[in-house]
Amino acid sequence: MSAVLVVHGGAWAIPNDLAQASVEGVKAAACGGFAVLKAGGSALDAVEAAVMGLEDNGVFNAGHGAALNTDGEVELDSIIMDGRTLGCGAVSSVKNIAHPVSLARAVMEKTSHVMLTDRGANLFAESIGVATVPTEALVTELERTEWKKNKTYMAGVVEDFNAQAHDTVGAVAVDRAGNVACATSTGGIRNKMVGRVGDSPVIGCGGYADNLSGAVSCTGHGESILKVTLARLILSHIEQGKSVAEASQLALQYMGDRVKGAGGAIVVSPSGQWSATFTTERMAWAAVEDGVLWYGLEPNERKKEQLSQ
Amino acid sequence: MLPVVVVHGGAGHVPRTRAEQSLSGVCSAARGGYAVLRGGGSSMDAVVEAVRILENDPHFNAGCGSVLNVRGDVEMDAIVMDGRTLSSGAVSAVRNIANPVQLARLVMDKTSHACLTAGGAQQFARSLGVPEVPQESLITEYSRMRWKKNLAPDANPVECQMGKMGTVGAVAVDREGNVACATSTGGMLNKMEGRVGDTPCIGSGGYADNQSGAVSTTGVGEAIMKVTLARLILFHMEQGQSVEAASDLGLAHMKSRVGGLGGVVTVDPQGRWAARFNSLQMAWAAGQNGTLHYGLYAGEDFTQSMDPDQDPDQGHGPPPAGVRH
Repeated sequence: MSAVLVVHGGAWAIPNDLAQASVEGVKAAACGGFAVLKAGGSALDAVEAAVMGLEDNGVFNAGHGAALNTDGEVELDSIIMDGRTLGCGAVSSVKNIAHPVSLARAVMEKTSHVMLTDRGANLFAESIGVATVPTEALVTELERTEWKKNKTYMAGVVEDFNAQAHDTVGAVAVDRAGNVACATSTGGIRNKMVGRVGDSPVIGCGGYADNLSGAVSCTGHGESILKVTLARLILSHIEQGKSVAEASQLALQYMGDRVKGAGGAIVVSPSGQWSATFTTERMAWAAVEDGVLWYGLEPNERKKEQLSQ
Repeated sequence: MLPVVVVHGGAGHVPRTRAEQSLSGVCSAARGGYAVLRGGGSSMDAVVEAVRILENDPHFNAGCGSVLNVRGDVEMDAIVMDGRTLSSGAVSAVRNIANPVQLARLVMDKTSHACLTAGGAQQFARSLGVPEVPQESLITEYSRMRWKKNLAPDANPVECQMGKMGTVGAVAVDREGNVACATSTGGMLNKMEGRVGDTPCIGSGGYADNQSGAVSTTGVGEAIMKVTLARLILFHMEQGQSVEAASDLGLAHMKSRVGGLGGVVTVDPQGRWAARFNSLQMAWAAGQNGTLHYGLYAGEDFTQSMDPDQDPDQGHGPPPAGVRH
């Protein structure tokens, strides 16, 4: 069977001046992740590589480029999950780490736990020799300006959700062996309270992967995604026989109806079906399968590029 | 059928010397939660009250009596969820708080967020004037002894874990048919600093939805997370399974897929309830129709009448001999 990798750069009202860079960013991350699959790497390796690429890209709200909390600090959340074993690793509210997704993977592989938070996650990083980076290395000029602009969270919440940066990043993949995996990483909501944990690191919300049904990575209004456990909800529809696209649409529609939340999700099934769906104005996404790069930003947009072999 | 409250005091193996105290603790909590419902309180009020009583009881691994992490500190997790709105509040790895379940409810009621962690949760507590308590007030001699024992080079951590899990939780349905859940824990004995288990994770430690029901879980946290046990059980109920069958299906799946044992309390909006587990024991109690139900081993369902005039906070002694069904 053929391997597939899909990435997203966050579902929200991406302003025009970030549109081009967002699309270029997800295309590059999708190609980077797919190269891992092509070289025989696992789905887990591929989603980690793709998300690391997005974390390094200052355009996205994860790793470098993360949103700042109300104190002007960067606190990062991330999850990774292996559909073969249901093994999972996550970190919440971790500081001074360039690649939270890799730290999440280390939690999965080097501890008996699933999730480490705050200082404990940093102590663990230190114990396994993960280098720390100064906060300023993660902060872009744009984020510092935005933080100053709506310094109080109250100013933030009265704004339309869509006007806020919610651009969590994520990836899902299926490898040649039919194993699926997901990874999600974020800086969270701009001007969030100190210690706020969103959907991204919470299993079944920000992501879920199961070889019996598929893998999902979610983005959008975190508190809404949590309320409906969006990733797990999409997979339950797939378990009931829905296609990946139908399952995503049903679940996002439900989230809109029930808790008035907008968002997006990327999904792969173990047989290589995939979809990128959103109810926000835009979501930058890209997918690679069979030497073809697919990508889009607007609803129903689906562009295609042949990759050189 | 309504109202109803069901509580658990954790799935695992309760040492014989502590079995009676565990049973009497869950019975007190069920009485307390039931009194709230009978007084016209919401299911959310009832589950928070029941879990608060269990947190204050040093025989359970939540609030006072929490297990210690590898450094000998207490870090607690809790969640509440309201099935009417799907709103939830949670705290993870929080310290120096006597009743994390109440702080979780404040996160739900007073912030636009659903989960606050560690120092941020404490900062939030301070901003609302929630009193901080010294860590020593949360530590029992028993939990200190077990922490030391587990640090020994020949300790068998898995065996010790099964000795006392003691996460506590409650589910309830009020007269209006609204469901709610609450779960609270000190986590896993000798866990790493900052370890977050299933308890504060929505869909794992608990879930509540007026359209299907409410669940609170206990057991091996990492296994519960891998199968999002609470949400899984409610999926089964959405597919038409009874509270009992759905609970058993979820627990069986967890055992076969990831090798973990645990227990759950489950209600549906009509007031049907179940307390199910595949561990050796789970202390549980339920209040419905003026009757208290309780048990510890599989198949047990002792009952006793609840005097409507009785103070719900009474009954700290062992439960009077019940009727075995």
